[in-house]
Amino acid sequence: MAQPTPDAFQVIADPSRRQMLKLLSRKSLTINALAENFDMSRPAVSKHIKILETGGFISIQGIGRERHCLLKQDGFNELQKWINYFDNFWESKLKKLQSVLDKRTQS
Amino acid sequence: MTNSINHTLFFPNPPAAVWEYLTNSELMELWLMKNDFQPVVGHDFQFRTNPLPQFDFDGIVYCKVLEMVPNKKLVYSWKGGPSKDRMTMDSIVEWTLTEKNDGTELQLVHNGFQNIDKLPIYNAMNEGWRQNMQKIHKFLNT
Repeated sequence: MAQPTPDAFQVIADPSRRQMLKLLSRKSLTINALAENFDMSRPAVSKHIKILETGGFISIQGIGRERHCLLKQDGFNELQKWINYFDNFWESKLKKLQSVLDKRTQS
Repeated sequence: MTNSINHTLFFPNPPAAVWEYLTNSELMELWLMKNDFQPVVGHDFQFRTNPLPQFDFDGIVYCKVLEMVPNKKLVYSWKGGPSKDRMTMDSIVEWTLTEKNDGTELQLVHNGFQNIDKLPIYNAMNEGWRQNMQKIHKFLNT
């Protein structure tokens, strides 16, 4: 498993890529079918698909002659790790705040 | 899957005392991080901590005060990343103080990470969804 990095956030920060993930969450699509939804050049679509694939948000599978895009869990797990990091961060900071305020109350 | 961080704590202190620790730069440093916070809406400030190279994070959190209701509510943006020019994390921290008979209830919500809460699939990333995905994989691989 790769180290968690905020790059996963960067992957989904782009509106076109978000739209691609939304479309793929309904059903898997061939690259051609996915591209039809976007008013951009094929190389531009391919570039976004590549970023989603590298980020672990989708996988591309060849079925017959077609190449299908499928959602993948890994990218989402990366996001989750980053959120978990801050969850723990705040938990420990808030404990510290409690102890700091405790001392103030006692003094 | 969670897309938001939510903690609620009780303090046996009045809201004004808790508020002080959320909005006075020196007091904030005692429990949170070094900072140049000022309780002014629109004020840009930073928190500084140790870099986390494994997270591709340079240790500086770039913030802006977005909303402030003294003793009740404080909201700031929370951004960071590998460098000032590459802020990959974009989120919101929201503090809410509620007065109780014998103290203050403090709620922290840290969310809005790149608006993932507005990405329906993220919310749908539950067990059922995963099973569906496995089915699709299986279907396509047979």
